[in-house]
Amino acid sequence: MKAKDIMEPITSYLSPDNTLKETVNRMRVTSRGENKVGVKGLLVLDEEKNLVGIVSIKDILKAIIPSYMSLMELGDFTWDGMLEEMAKKVADKKVSEIMTREVISVPDDAPLMECANLMVSKNLQRIPVVNNEKKIVGIIYVRDLYYAIVKALLDKEN
Amino acid sequence: MAQEVVETTQQFVMNSTFWTATIIFLLAYIIIVSEKIHKTIVALVGASLMIVLKILQQREAFHLEEFGVDWNVIFLLISMMIIVNLMRPTGFFEYIAIKSAKLGRGEPMRIMVIFAVVTAVLSATLDNVTTVLLLAPVTLLIADALEVDAIPFLIAEALASNIGGTATLIGDPPNIMIASKARLDFMDFIYNLTPAIIVIMVVFLFVLKLIFGKKLHVKPELKQRVMEMNEREAIKDPLMLKKSLFVLGIVVIGFVLHGKFNYEPATVALFGAGLLLLLSGTKEPHHVLAEVEWPTIFFFIGLFILVGGVVKVGLIKWMSLEMLDLTQGNLLATSMIVMWFSAIASSIVDNIPYVATMNSLIIDMAKQLWPQETGLALLQHTDLLPIWWSLALGACLGGNGTAIGASANVIVVGMAERAGKKISFIRFLAYGTPIMILTVFISMIYVWLRYYVLKI
Repeated sequence: MKAKDIMEPITSYLSPDNTLKETVNRMRVTSRGENKVGVKGLLVLDEEKNLVGIVSIKDILKAIIPSYMSLMELGDFTWDGMLEEMAKKVADKKVSEIMTREVISVPDDAPLMECANLMVSKNLQRIPVVNNEKKIVGIIYVRDLYYAIVKALLDKEN
Repeated sequence: MAQEVVETTQQFVMNSTFWTATIIFLLAYIIIVSEKIHKTIVALVGASLMIVLKILQQREAFHLEEFGVDWNVIFLLISMMIIVNLMRPTGFFEYIAIKSAKLGRGEPMRIMVIFAVVTAVLSATLDNVTTVLLLAPVTLLIADALEVDAIPFLIAEALASNIGGTATLIGDPPNIMIASKARLDFMDFIYNLTPAIIVIMVVFLFVLKLIFGKKLHVKPELKQRVMEMNEREAIKDPLMLKKSLFVLGIVVIGFVLHGKFNYEPATVALFGAGLLLLLSGTKEPHHVLAEVEWPTIFFFIGLFILVGGVVKVGLIKWMSLEMLDLTQGNLLATSMIVMWFSAIASSIVDNIPYVATMNSLIIDMAKQLWPQETGLALLQHTDLLPIWWSLALGACLGGNGTAIGASANVIVVGMAERAGKKISFIRFLAYGTPIMILTVFISMIYVWLRYYVLKI
């Protein structure tokens, strides 16, 4: 099997101009698989539908942690309510400011092992799939690969 | 200490060597000011050209202080950086900052004053950049906790750091350079500059209170956030902290006594760095050494050689003659011109290349004024000392003039911007320039009163 055989369609995406508030709302209402709602990451596409970035929950956590926290060991000196306050402060931040820009994608004919290896070595949860023209055609989640493994193991037993 | 100054009796002629050196020097300075290429690269290329084009022999550039690298400055800087790098992970600086905020009982004005004093004292002991790098993040945190604008605090710290750094030999690179060139010791700076800085600091704090005193008010429940922080949690490595403070104590005592025992400040700092590395028990000194700010160190190395080139061909001597012409040999006028010119120059350009040039200029000038004197008698001629102090005060305090006047300012502005609090060039100017003018004015009165009226 190849990437295109297990990938899921792109049902929703962000534009670089979306705000953080819009982002979390979009993630909340985007459907996952057949009947579940809520995703932990979204692709960022520009007007020509080119992939320019990806936003995950981790990026959102990073966006609300003040930059000075990483300069010194200040974790011990935070207060109750700080997280919520900081989140409200950055609510209007643009997706372009918080997204991960270096997105690793795979061609649609990539073998699943290549995808699995990337997920593990680059610590990814999802990989966008692109066609020959470098346009986004789908996305593979770590669970899709896991299902492929499950299928390989259990089908044989059957 | 009393190492003889190498005689420069050669008369300068404006031949092709003179012009080549002058052009390299000016081009390098112009490119450094333009910031088109990293200043360290410019300095190193310029320095190497001075040697390649045979303006300086390699031996002169590498081994003669007069024309080349001043290793006393280099090793003092490297050693102090190593000591700070070893101290940083202990959590000592976080402890000091949180403790200061609590000492201010969550009152923003009190916190601003205490932070300014702590910044000044730390800057007098460590370098200014290190100090603001260590205090600004905590300042941003405290401002968020109190829900007040962090910018006044940050600007106050940058200004305080430049003021405090002026107080001691090791506080600010211009002082390190002046001390090494003029063979002045740590206590000379304490006797001559620290009193001026104490006066300036008191006035500065008063001005802070005047500007911000009325504006800063905080709800009691927000103060509680600061009061609930436990500074003891900052200490990550108590054993290493004890070792660090022990070594820092030795280093400070060493600085106080170095003149008496004929040690250079660099020897004291190098011993401290070596001892702390040993006590730290690290098997891998690689990362501690890698964290030394090598670009800064190599910038100094390049500059020393660049300036050495134009000293050798006589450009600096020519400049010093022009200056004597201007002041007609009036030393009070010279002091005042040096101070104000240094302040203005340092507020616009990097004060390190400026002082590197001025040091040589002042020595050349002294040679014209007192041709019969050599060595310490020349470098520390009673009438020359006030000019050294004027240079130090002007060059260090001038850094406050603009957002780009001193590295500490650049760091603070950059850090604020990353935290989403942009300090515009104009906003910094609005605080910095008046403070610069005020502090240099006080320095002017101080130098005039102390060295030309009271003569003490």
